[in-house]
Amino acid sequence: MSDYAQLILWLIPGAPLIAATVIALFGKLLLGGRSHVPCVAALAVAFAASLMLLVSIVPATFVESSGTGAEYIDEDGQTFVQIDSDTAVSPAKGAVATGYEWLDIGTLNLRIDLRADAIAAIMLAMVTGVSLLVAIFASGYMHGDPGYPRFFAAVSLFVFSMCMLVLAGNFLQLFIFWEAVGLCSYLLIGFWFKKPSAAAAAKKAFVINRIGDFGLITGIFLIWTTFGSTDFSKVLFDAAALARVNTEQPGMIQLICFLLFVGAMGKSAQFPLHVWLPDAMEGPTPVSALIHAATMVTAGVYLVARSTPLFVLAPQAQLFVAGIGAATALISALIALTQYDLKRVMAYSTVSQLGFMFMALGSAAAGREYATFAVMAAMFHLFTHAYFKALLFLASGSVMHSMGDVIDMRRFSGLRSVLPVTHWTFLCGALALAGFPLMAGFWSKDEILAALSNGIAHGQYKTFFTVIFGVAVLTALLTAFYTFRAYFMTFWGPEKFPEEALQPHGHGAHDDAHDHDHSHAPVVHAAASGHEMVHGDARPHDAPPPMAWPLRILAVCAVLIGFVGPAHLFGPYIENTPGLPDVTPHHMSLPLMLLSAIIASVGMGIAYQWYVKAPSIPEKLESGLRPLFKLSHGKFFFDELFTAILVAPLRVIAVCSSLFDKYILDGLVDSVGAIPRLMSQAPRRLHGGLTPAYAATMLIAVLGCVFCVMQLFAAN
Amino acid sequence: MIGFLIALMSLPLATAVLLMLFRASAGQNTARWMALLGTVVTLCVSVVAVAKYKEQLVGNASQPVQPRIVWRHTWLEFETEMVATDVALPDRVKLEFFLGADGVSLALIALTSLLSVSAVLISWESIKERAAEFYICLLVLQAGLIGVFCAFDLLLFYVFFEFTLIPLFFMVGLWGGAQRHYAAMKFFLYTLVGSLITLIGLAALVLTAIKAGVVTPFSIPDLSAWFADHPMGSRLQTILFLTLSAGFMVKVPLFPFHTWLPLAHVEAPTAGSVMLAGVLLKLGSYGFFRISLPIFRDACEQVGTPLIATLSVIGIVYGSFCALAQRDIKKLVAYSSVAHLGFCMLGLFALNAEGVTGSLLQMINHGLSTGALFLLVGMIYDRYHTRQLDDLGGLAKRLPMISVAMVFTTMASIGLPGLNGFVGEMLSLAGMFKLAPIYAVIGTSGVVLGAWYMLTMVQHGFFGPLKEPHDVHGPVSDMSPREACAFLPLAVMCLWIGVMPQSFIELMRPDIEAVTNLYHPPRILTSGPSLGNATHNSFVESQVQLERE
Repeated sequence: MSDYAQLILWLIPGAPLIAATVIALFGKLLLGGRSHVPCVAALAVAFAASLMLLVSIVPATFVESSGTGAEYIDEDGQTFVQIDSDTAVSPAKGAVATGYEWLDIGTLNLRIDLRADAIAAIMLAMVTGVSLLVAIFASGYMHGDPGYPRFFAAVSLFVFSMCMLVLAGNFLQLFIFWEAVGLCSYLLIGFWFKKPSAAAAAKKAFVINRIGDFGLITGIFLIWTTFGSTDFSKVLFDAAALARVNTEQPGMIQLICFLLFVGAMGKSAQFPLHVWLPDAMEGPTPVSALIHAATMVTAGVYLVARSTPLFVLAPQAQLFVAGIGAATALISALIALTQYDLKRVMAYSTVSQLGFMFMALGSAAAGREYATFAVMAAMFHLFTHAYFKALLFLASGSVMHSMGDVIDMRRFSGLRSVLPVTHWTFLCGALALAGFPLMAGFWSKDEILAALSNGIAHGQYKTFFTVIFGVAVLTALLTAFYTFRAYFMTFWGPEKFPEEALQPHGHGAHDDAHDHDHSHAPVVHAAASGHEMVHGDARPHDAPPPMAWPLRILAVCAVLIGFVGPAHLFGPYIENTPGLPDVTPHHMSLPLMLLSAIIASVGMGIAYQWYVKAPSIPEKLESGLRPLFKLSHGKFFFDELFTAILVAPLRVIAVCSSLFDKYILDGLVDSVGAIPRLMSQAPRRLHGGLTPAYAATMLIAVLGCVFCVMQLFAAN
Repeated sequence: MIGFLIALMSLPLATAVLLMLFRASAGQNTARWMALLGTVVTLCVSVVAVAKYKEQLVGNASQPVQPRIVWRHTWLEFETEMVATDVALPDRVKLEFFLGADGVSLALIALTSLLSVSAVLISWESIKERAAEFYICLLVLQAGLIGVFCAFDLLLFYVFFEFTLIPLFFMVGLWGGAQRHYAAMKFFLYTLVGSLITLIGLAALVLTAIKAGVVTPFSIPDLSAWFADHPMGSRLQTILFLTLSAGFMVKVPLFPFHTWLPLAHVEAPTAGSVMLAGVLLKLGSYGFFRISLPIFRDACEQVGTPLIATLSVIGIVYGSFCALAQRDIKKLVAYSSVAHLGFCMLGLFALNAEGVTGSLLQMINHGLSTGALFLLVGMIYDRYHTRQLDDLGGLAKRLPMISVAMVFTTMASIGLPGLNGFVGEMLSLAGMFKLAPIYAVIGTSGVVLGAWYMLTMVQHGFFGPLKEPHDVHGPVSDMSPREACAFLPLAVMCLWIGVMPQSFIELMRPDIEAVTNLYHPPRILTSGPSLGNATHNSFVESQVQLERE
């Protein structure tokens, strides 16, 4: 690696880390309301570096390393980082930047190095790009919040961790930053820590993620004991080792894959560990857009895609992935149908779309040769989804901002004319999510359907994939419907604002007196950024420039980004990822495209019919199908179920152990301690303090002694 | 280097003696400044000693226990009067004054010195009565703890091991909470009973060594070298191992011998809790590492691992559940110690380099993070005179700096990567996973539970709407510079170990590998045509048989 490439690679996580440190140390004292400056600047640097990586550094390794593969790496695992770009070729098609030795004891060793290949470069460009836009948006959205520096420090730290996660060349390093992004998520969900709901949601997210991490770390331990290393180059890219393990320990790779996927289920909110993500919406909206829609939650998809060389050897695990993905997609789409909280609709939609990605990844069970296509489809959907979902969240945030922090769709409607920028950008995002033809989501969803149809056409799990395909089509229909339900409910119909939107809000919103209510930054901002709302000003205002421009840019992306691939740029690029099996050429399937177009249109049409033309229909349905509505509106009662079958019993166990400890274990100890006291009861009587008693005892004893001595002498 | 050792042991003691001399005239102020001076100087010396040691550290140890710094004098020499039966007994047996240090001891000494400074600083205001006596106890405790880590002689080890009880007994009994007398007595008697059983074990071990013909039967390095080549019979080993373990297990404390701990912690003054959790508990695991592992190889493998690992995983899960039910923050942290020490013992009895390294790191990490947690709980108690989660809430609003510190320490404690806790837990679990995955998997569930109870504590105590006890008068101020001085060094160490663990591992690595090589001999050393476990086991068995014959 040349120094130049090393520098670029280190800049990507390094710049946000520096920003995070600077803001954390000086934010409160010096930066104050300018705390976003270091963050935005660092993200811009990281984004530029990621683009350079994407277009020049990583592609340069594609040509160099053709045919070398993993054999290149030396036994001691040290040399692969010391590569001279002139003489040697980078191993396994990737750019590597050297770091430092983090751990080396026994057979466990880990160097913190940066390793970028095709799939990582795409992720990085997406992560830094979306983060940059979200940070700019947040500089407006969060303005005036007392935690302003804290917010940008945490966001910078998040981007650092996420980039390190993507740049990991080792499962352990991946795990380290996997948990680090979880920390940032915890800090940002609980950003408004005074709200009990936010504090609870933050804890819930962390603990549920820990359940997933439990699976992941166990899987990594298993990889370590099986392969003798956790390095990608010795596990994923070493075909010989994979083949050896596969023959020597059948079932082991299945188990590893299963455990890795448990980790992915936690982070990517897959059923049944999905319950944390909707609650995570307690965080500020930019956080929901960045962490809980575009980037962090896709880490699970990234992990599974990254581990494809393992997963292709474990078809059962892939079926499991597809099954869980399908279940998640369908269930969360059904829940999204009846939610009235705009952000929650988007949250469930995120869960559902992640399910789509996992379905695609699982479709590789059809056969080794379809794995690359499956990965490509999943990653492409991840890529497009990041843009349009970030857009939808930010637009929802903009609605919330204007509506005085009200997010219940029943309380406002007809915002089309009041919030033109928000309306148009939201529409772009909604069209993309619904899979309207030629929009970003259309292309990527189409690829997923194509991947699933591979599963129907080939391999030995045809029936299974027929069902999955059916679920996918149904979910796509539901997606189009609920997306436009939200759109029509918010932007169409009679103009209606909640009274909060019409209230003036001052800077005092964060004083102690307001601890109990939900008035937070967004509201304050309106006053702070020159959009003074005066009493009697009856019309809410649209997004100010720092919020509007990121929306516009993301809207353009949501419309156009689908054209980068999959067949032209994206597909051929990602095929260069090391470890992916050889590729069978793929083609656009016209019937499938037609099918997606029809599904999307039908879903949107129904939404239009029900929520614009005849708003009485949903009400009738609601009362007609009361139990079903309740089931969906109550989110299938997963939270209640888990509380009843898991949390409550564990709490009972906790109380029981505590009582057991106090009364039984410690009681035992105390009773042992009481033995000497009991035994002392008898001798105590001898020491009554009465002189005659002592005299009598002495006399008896002396007589006894004399007797004994005489006996002894007599015997001699 | 020997100078460092002597300085480390005598500095706290000298300060204590000075304090004792001027006790009558010295007020609270003089006493605390003198104590601070003494501990800070000791800390500086220990840091320099570690740095120097690391600089000079080359090569691997050739014996299972091999201190690099040695200060060894014959103390007593006596005739052996036992009747020789089958082996030739040495005529004279030496009792030595054997102090020394290797990387592990130096690391633990540095930890002790660091926590002592924090302990003095946190007692600054809160200890008003008999301040001079309090600091004397603290300094004597520090000297005793350093003594344990320096002792390479069974007798000295035992003397220091027991000696540490006395100052802590007074600290809990005199400056503790409402139930201090009961707590101090229970703590003292419980650990004493355990230690007395250990004493019997030690005596039996020494006698065995004399019988086997060891000239210096009290020296741990000599004993370990001897028994590595001439293993005892496995029954004898098991019995000795178990008797020695009694005191260590109580001290660790392993389930079910832990019930003295929550009580002692809750009643102890903050400085006492810091020293107790931070260093005193490590004496148990250190004893296992220093004496049991090198000397009782077969017993550790055959009895130690199944027994201790089982108790450890029970302790991890059970301790976590108990912690979850606590409403008193200090008690919660005390139960979390039971769980954390479970990880420590789990790693130790993995008997491989990964596990033992993890265990030793976990000792240091637990000292830092739990020490810091007790400091923070102490700060809150100083302000509100309560530690009940039911009385407190939303403190992040009132005490932002303490709350940030609390979240940070919580993250360190629950093993967030990038902070110290992760490295120790991960390595311990990895080591055990290599040996017996089932223990590691159950142990890993403790990581989930750990996040649950600690974050529940943070959620209830520090987030949400502000709730303070009603009887607090006057303004409550955030972390003072003095408190920051007590906390920050620990936080910096937490981060440093988390980000660059290898620099700490390097310090201890030769000593760890020297011990673990007993269990997993490096491949070059195992001779014979076949390699791996089979060879090793038969090798051990043949030696055992030889011994029996």
